[in-house]
Amino acid sequence: MRTSTRRSHRLMALAAVAALTTGLLAGCSKDSDGGSSNDSGGNGKGKTTLTIGTFGVFGYKQAGLYDEYMKLHPDISIKENVTTRTDVYWPKVLTRLQAGSGTDDIQAIEVGNITEAVQTQGSKFVDLGKDVDKSQWLDWKNAQATTKDGKLIGLGTDIGPMAICYRKDLFKKAGLETDRTKLAAQWKGDWAKYVDLGKQYMKKAPSGTKYVDSASSVYNAALGGGSERYYDNSGNVVWDKSDGVKKAWDVAMTVATSNMSAKLKQFDKPWDQGYANGTFATVACPAWMIGYIEQKSGDSGKGNWDVAAAPTASNWGGSFLGVPTAGKHQKEAIALAKWLTAPEQQAKVFAKQASFPSTPSAYSTLKPAADTTAYFSNAPITQIFADSAKTIPTQYFGIKDQPINTALTDVGILQVEQKGKTPDQGWNAAKNEIKDVLGQ
Amino acid sequence: MSSSKQALAHPASSAEAASGEQPGAARGAHGRGTPPAGPDSWRSRLYRWDMKASPYAFIAPFFIIFGAFSLVPLLYTAWYSLHNVQLSSLDTQTWAGLDNYKHLLSSDFFWNALSNTFTIGVISTVPQLMAALGLAHLLNYRLRGSTVWRVVMLTPYATSVAAATLVFTLLYSWDGGMINWFLHFVGIGPVNWRESDWGSQFAVSSIVIWRWTGYNALIYLAAMQAIPADLYESAAIDGANRWQQFRHVTVPQLRPTILFTVVVSTIGATQLFGEPLLFGGVSGSKGGSEHQYQTLGLYMYDQGWIIGNLGKASAIAWSMFLILLIVAVINLLFTRRLRKSQ
Amino acid sequence: MTTSELTLPQLRKQKNQKAKRGRNRRVMGAGKQLHAGPVTYLVLTVFALLSLAPLVWTAIAASRTDHRLAETPPPLWFGGNLFKNLQAAWDQAGMGTAMFNSTVVAGTITVATVLFSTLAGFAFAKLRFRFSSVLLLLTIGTMMIPPQLAVVPLYLWMSDLGWSNQLQTVILPTLVTAFGTFFMRQYLVQALPTELIEAARVDGASSLRVVWHVVFPAARPAMAVLGLLTFVFAWNDFLWPIIALNQQNPTVQVALNSLGTGYVPDQAVIMAGALLGTLPLLIAFILFGKQIVGGIMQGAIKG
Repeated sequence: MRTSTRRSHRLMALAAVAALTTGLLAGCSKDSDGGSSNDSGGNGKGKTTLTIGTFGVFGYKQAGLYDEYMKLHPDISIKENVTTRTDVYWPKVLTRLQAGSGTDDIQAIEVGNITEAVQTQGSKFVDLGKDVDKSQWLDWKNAQATTKDGKLIGLGTDIGPMAICYRKDLFKKAGLETDRTKLAAQWKGDWAKYVDLGKQYMKKAPSGTKYVDSASSVYNAALGGGSERYYDNSGNVVWDKSDGVKKAWDVAMTVATSNMSAKLKQFDKPWDQGYANGTFATVACPAWMIGYIEQKSGDSGKGNWDVAAAPTASNWGGSFLGVPTAGKHQKEAIALAKWLTAPEQQAKVFAKQASFPSTPSAYSTLKPAADTTAYFSNAPITQIFADSAKTIPTQYFGIKDQPINTALTDVGILQVEQKGKTPDQGWNAAKNEIKDVLGQ
Repeated sequence: MSSSKQALAHPASSAEAASGEQPGAARGAHGRGTPPAGPDSWRSRLYRWDMKASPYAFIAPFFIIFGAFSLVPLLYTAWYSLHNVQLSSLDTQTWAGLDNYKHLLSSDFFWNALSNTFTIGVISTVPQLMAALGLAHLLNYRLRGSTVWRVVMLTPYATSVAAATLVFTLLYSWDGGMINWFLHFVGIGPVNWRESDWGSQFAVSSIVIWRWTGYNALIYLAAMQAIPADLYESAAIDGANRWQQFRHVTVPQLRPTILFTVVVSTIGATQLFGEPLLFGGVSGSKGGSEHQYQTLGLYMYDQGWIIGNLGKASAIAWSMFLILLIVAVINLLFTRRLRKSQ
Repeated sequence: MTTSELTLPQLRKQKNQKAKRGRNRRVMGAGKQLHAGPVTYLVLTVFALLSLAPLVWTAIAASRTDHRLAETPPPLWFGGNLFKNLQAAWDQAGMGTAMFNSTVVAGTITVATVLFSTLAGFAFAKLRFRFSSVLLLLTIGTMMIPPQLAVVPLYLWMSDLGWSNQLQTVILPTLVTAFGTFFMRQYLVQALPTELIEAARVDGASSLRVVWHVVFPAARPAMAVLGLLTFVFAWNDFLWPIIALNQQNPTVQVALNSLGTGYVPDQAVIMAGALLGTLPLLIAFILFGKQIVGGIMQGAIKG
């Protein structure tokens, strides 16, 4: 094995390219990029511009946190760079971290990528452990963002404790229990029980409706409640031996091979349409999905959706804020990241869009938006998610956690669900896919 | 990033334009120019220097840009393809020899992508060119408002891959899409265009066909208009009807142009990427749950930018290039034979 | 070397044919064209509908609501939400920035490509220099190289230079193309009389003067066509921009890509974005349709 540093090779090529093109460059360097290269005092008269790179909807802007912070700190101005999808966002962050330029002052990191960040980019992030009171966060949340040598490279933002969101009206028509506490009791402890109820639902299902949106959603929920995902604690891939995976897969297969699933691909357009048209009665919903459901179901779902505790405490998703060492305003960036992830601010984001805090001290003060509560039949959303959050098992995420998960849901399960393959065929397809992902 | 599809889409240009001379045999005006007479020797020296250097100066921009942004990267891609390069650890590149290529050859996904690229290439190119030929034939009649017809046929060409694919994806929706709605009138149940094997490949191909048929028709039309009328006259005297004239006069006369468009479309098909990516929607880089429409271009994107294995992605890129070279060689042999037979 | 191998035999063949035919060859269209019958019009109408329907439907979908698009049957006529959706696409997907960026990118590329290609095309067509034929073949051969081959290293370099997300990353690699060079060469071989250059030379004109006073005027029609084609290509370029740029500083295609693959789930807004992104070129096609068609056909015939 010969290892060569890429830098020297690339520098030569770079020099060549640079020399060849400097002359051509003159007219066309329009810098509208919001990288951290933005100087302090550009147009803001001594103002420092901090950039924060996020994906999806973090809700900071929506909750007015940037404006609030800028009011508190008149010398700071904040610019958010949003990418819709993590799988587009993260590769670009990775290259910029390593190039040592072009990163934002604060980069959001999704939990599916946190291990990759911890293991391969640890030196590219500032150790935040000294600057904060770590005990604010849930232990397992901190653990995920801590490197081997004890550096904390990301501050927890939200987490994704799971519940079951269900359509009361459809349950009623199908002759099922509609009370959230009694329902939760019916499936408590085992996702298979939740699926069993689906069989009952389908016997008297209102026409054109199914019990659950997709087998993948059940899979993700069940997986998030197990103790082991795709890697063991020392970072070895064990996905095909993992107990958690096997259990989740089996439950998902029951769903996929029965007729209880609307067979939709999550976050795909037909899935949205399913919300709008009310074609499925339940969905395993992490806290951050609450706002999405409300938006997608629109008026037709108002007061019909309800929330019950999930069979097991489970987590899906959540993020961190890290400060790259390449940033020019690290001190200011740390202060902002600390402020944004503080319990009070997390509570504000929750109030806006139900992203659930990773700081337990916020739980007592959480107040969801009034219209959200009404939308979900006045369910005690805070209580349900908080209970789940406190008992979520610590899960170890691996480097390729995200692509492996995609292989199981978007290849394995989808094949069984939409193409009528057998569970074995689906498993093998996922296996091949994962082999490919791991480069084996 | 030149799109070869467009870049080469001017078949007859090479055919006719240079008919006076052959590439490389261009007579240079400068070579025979007489330097201005006079005692001014620095001027004549400058003049001679100008004569010598200016051709190189004129072609320099192309070769500089090409060198910097194609040639050097191309060699680097070769280098990367022999290393284990991960997006997450760019600074350590481990020598991997031919491992990346070996992985590819033993990977079902590579062969699957290759075969998809081939089948999608065929079902997008063949109907496209045949329709274009027929369309050109019709446009070649004397028409009222002939320009309007031509412009209309060309409008899909103005639509970008992204825009066209987004629209077609909606038209092809499983549930409530326009196409399935039309099909239900003729008693065909809803087709899952995105997940079914042939359905998805057909759908992706149809986007390509839609965008390029009109353009190719204009190319054929131009070549048709260059066919001397007396050929048709003599065919008509021999009693050939319109269809026979089309078959026995038009098509043979267009053969070089047709061959050229075939090559151009083949190159375009080899690089097919945007259509399947966007057609797939969320996690579109997989090209369907069974990779049923994952092309080589898409496979490379998935490996490099979603999974983060840049070494393997580079190996895929080089494989694509090698495949194109093989196609080129086959084409060369084919052309040789065609020439001999004439 | 497909291209050259393919064209050379053609050249010879066509040359022979031309010689046989003589100069006064009669061509279809010189009054001998067959009149189109009703069937022809019918078939053409079908083709025209197929060409236009998806575009028209884009506008229809863009004028509806997301909920309406989810229903069956799909809408067949315009609704009242067009401006609302255009506004949303403009704001959410940054179509405003995107259109501005695409104009800058495509404009710069067009000017540079036309200029550099004309120079190089002129050199290949009319100037004699060592290795000219080899270099020309090489130029043509480069058209075969798939753009995918360059993407990985280019991306890494651009990040190293701190250029990621900046427009020059997508402008620089396409400042001049092999296609443009070849296109201009083919045109100038015929359209630029060698005597003109010689005459200018006898007057002692420098190369730059020759280019300015002789080559550019002669090449103007082809430059216009090349400009149009280049602009369309640059506006619609997809692969490299979606890798090199991000949503903060997108071109139209990058913005459409994030609309299409992102979690922006409003179909009507997505369609409005597609409509916005296509509109500039559509307007250009309506205004200059005749010239564009003529250009493409001329490109096909005369070069």
